[in-house]
Amino acid sequence: MPSSNTNESLIKNTSYKVVLPFYIYAALALLVACTLLAISSDVFTQHYFHPKTLAITHTMALGWATMMILGAGHQLMPVLIERRLFSNGLAYLSFIFAATGIPLLVYAFYTFNMNWPAQYGAIFINSAILCYLVNFAISLSKSKLENVHAVFAFTATLWLLLTTLVGLLLVYNFTLNILSEGSLHYLSLHAHMGIIGWLLLMVIGVGSRLLPMFLISKYNQPILLWYIYALINFGLLFFVINQIFLHQIVLYLVPVATILLALILFARYCLAAYRQRIRRQIDEQVKISLFSVLLMSVPLISFIIAIRELFNGKQDTKHVLLYGFSIFFGWITAIIFGMTFKTLPFIIWNKVYSFKAGMGKTPNPKELFSSKIFTAMVITYFAGFILFSAGIYLMEVIVLQLAALLLVATAILYNWNVFVLVFHKHRKE
Amino acid sequence: MNVITNDNFKCSIALVVLRDVIDPEICLSVVDLGLIYQVDFDEEYRNIFVRMTLTTQFCPMGDSIVCAVTHALENSFPEYTVRTTLTFTPPWKNTMISEIGQEYLNK
Repeated sequence: MPSSNTNESLIKNTSYKVVLPFYIYAALALLVACTLLAISSDVFTQHYFHPKTLAITHTMALGWATMMILGAGHQLMPVLIERRLFSNGLAYLSFIFAATGIPLLVYAFYTFNMNWPAQYGAIFINSAILCYLVNFAISLSKSKLENVHAVFAFTATLWLLLTTLVGLLLVYNFTLNILSEGSLHYLSLHAHMGIIGWLLLMVIGVGSRLLPMFLISKYNQPILLWYIYALINFGLLFFVINQIFLHQIVLYLVPVATILLALILFARYCLAAYRQRIRRQIDEQVKISLFSVLLMSVPLISFIIAIRELFNGKQDTKHVLLYGFSIFFGWITAIIFGMTFKTLPFIIWNKVYSFKAGMGKTPNPKELFSSKIFTAMVITYFAGFILFSAGIYLMEVIVLQLAALLLVATAILYNWNVFVLVFHKHRKE
Repeated sequence: MNVITNDNFKCSIALVVLRDVIDPEICLSVVDLGLIYQVDFDEEYRNIFVRMTLTTQFCPMGDSIVCAVTHALENSFPEYTVRTTLTFTPPWKNTMISEIGQEYLNK
């Protein structure tokens, strides 16, 4: 009787059971965020420190972006550190804590009830991040490999924990006055630790590994990535110190300059990887992920305008709103759209067809979702994003509402394709 | 990259069979990708020893690709036991892609 053996320890991957709940949760969170956007579009003509704006932002930052990154992180962490995930149990625990905490926090913001729903929500979210961090730290400690991508991802997770800890303090500060200033004063600190420390570091760390891999690029420049790593962390630490101790407006230019330089270097890295690729044909998913790098220019321009206004002693809230909107609904969403349909079909294919590998014809992972729905989603997404950004700038509620409906349509199409994938059953070719 | 073997004739048949095992992300066969390092035939005990690699360790499709290689050879050489070993020494590099593979990717 023929048999076979392989050294499984070298290839054992994270189970789909760990990863799928995060993907499903994130997809539903996007739908909730877009629906909230549609029913509360008018708040985007008001000050950014508004309960409903905070609810939408946290649905996007935690429910959509963070849940998706944590899910994909459990799958990609072994690729980055070349070592299997330490514990599936901690991954499940991380999901349960986050899945419970996020709705509590979003509900608390939406109704501006900063008592127990916000407090329990924040505690649960911190517990989820702690579980992920411990899992990552132990997995990393068992790995013999030290690479820049893993260091990026681990540092990003440390910044995420710091962000959620500051968030926890801010939540309690609403009722207990434990900080010297009001919560609005620390909002910028909390937001930028999350945006730069968590999201930007993670996107650059993982993106710089995946992009050359998907393009089969000859380009490899870890030293450039170390420079980017140093520039971002220096800039962010400088920003934190200035925000807490120094309070010098002119010193804000230092982190702006270092992070801007880091972004330019990363754009150069992506361009070089693209130019030196062996694979000429690029699929739609990679294209939209590459386009997200260009989309970073929208928050950048609005941020520079907001900073200029700060120097002139005035602040137009629309630039800050456009800055936040274009980060979560622009840059981050575009990356996730691309990467969902680059990774999820393979996870599902492995779940459904891996036992049949080499025993007959099976569908290609790319055939497990509808490319027509994907294209329709991309069209409604860009139309909705551009129109909503224009609506913020023009402060026109009707434009905002119309754009929000396009984004709801985008979220429905995204969920449709995700659930087509999740419920895919074995198909005979 | 040339595949090491102790039986050129049978190895060439095995490689034809393995050209049907496709990496679904890159859409190239494991042979043209240069993932197969060695195919040895043990006639005394009827074993086929395959030493292969993956484009990246802990590749999410790694398990399936290794299974596909094993199953494909089992189907074509039913009288043999296929023993597939995964190695990352030397690690895979894109220079290991065959000329046919390079041409396909350059299209």
